[in-house]
Amino acid sequence: MFKELDPLLLSELRLAVMSILISAEEADFVYLKEKTNATAGNLSVQIDKLQQAGYIDVRKTFKGKRPQTICKVTFKGIHAFEKYIEALKSYIDIQNH
Amino acid sequence: MEEMQDRQLNEKESLELISRMIRNTQERMEEGSGTMFLIWGYTTVIVTMLVREMLMRTGSYQWQWLWFLLPVCGSIMTMIHLKKRSKKPRVITYVDKVINYIWTVLGITGFLLSVISIVYRLPILFFIVLIMGIGTTLTGLVINFRPLVIAGVLGMLLSSILVVRMPYTLQMLIFSLIFLVMMIIPGHYLNYKSRKRNV
Repeated sequence: MFKELDPLLLSELRLAVMSILISAEEADFVYLKEKTNATAGNLSVQIDKLQQAGYIDVRKTFKGKRPQTICKVTFKGIHAFEKYIEALKSYIDIQNH
Repeated sequence: MEEMQDRQLNEKESLELISRMIRNTQERMEEGSGTMFLIWGYTTVIVTMLVREMLMRTGSYQWQWLWFLLPVCGSIMTMIHLKKRSKKPRVITYVDKVINYIWTVLGITGFLLSVISIVYRLPILFFIVLIMGIGTTLTGLVINFRPLVIAGVLGMLLSSILVVRMPYTLQMLIFSLIFLVMMIIPGHYLNYKSRKRNV
């Protein structure tokens, strides 16, 4: 049976951000922007959505005089990501049969 | 890589994206690790040679206080290096965190033993090489970099030479040579490898 895919993780950019944060302890906005090659505006909107869903924690600090945004995945985010992978597997299993 | 949009992916694209992003994040693990080995390796060799030279010239054991240049200079250079690195986009992986913990614990152990050795007679050079050898081996294992593991294990084995009775100035020379093999050479090699990987 198809498991439902989390609509929040269906977006390319949000899934990319979550995948990076899953494999890292934390990452700053500049790193996420560099790795996803997204525009600052779009990335910022998607980070906000993930934060509102409780999937990531966002901490704003300063690096010297420049502001720095540090993102970290939450337990809820890890759980959602694992569920998403399970759902993806169920789709692929069905396709293979 | 093209600009990432807010588009929806199919299952296959999703899995590809996840594995690509995870691989990208993991691939940067070795960056900067070599420099830390070089900072502590060169500082140790230079300070040891300085103390040795002063001891041989003057015969006064007061020069032993110069050993404290080692944590002072090493820490200052580490802080400068970390500050420089913090200007780059920042990501901390679990591996970075584990390595950080390993060296913090070993650093405290080494410092504590050094302080104790002022009061009690300890084969301190042996302990320091052993501790640094443990750190180097563990770092090599965690980042999966075999030359570092070999250098670390070699350092741990060679540390046993330093418990053999011999003149202190000779011990210091051997101590420096072990640091050259255990930290400086693999440090340069690690930096060379990570530079090549990131080109």
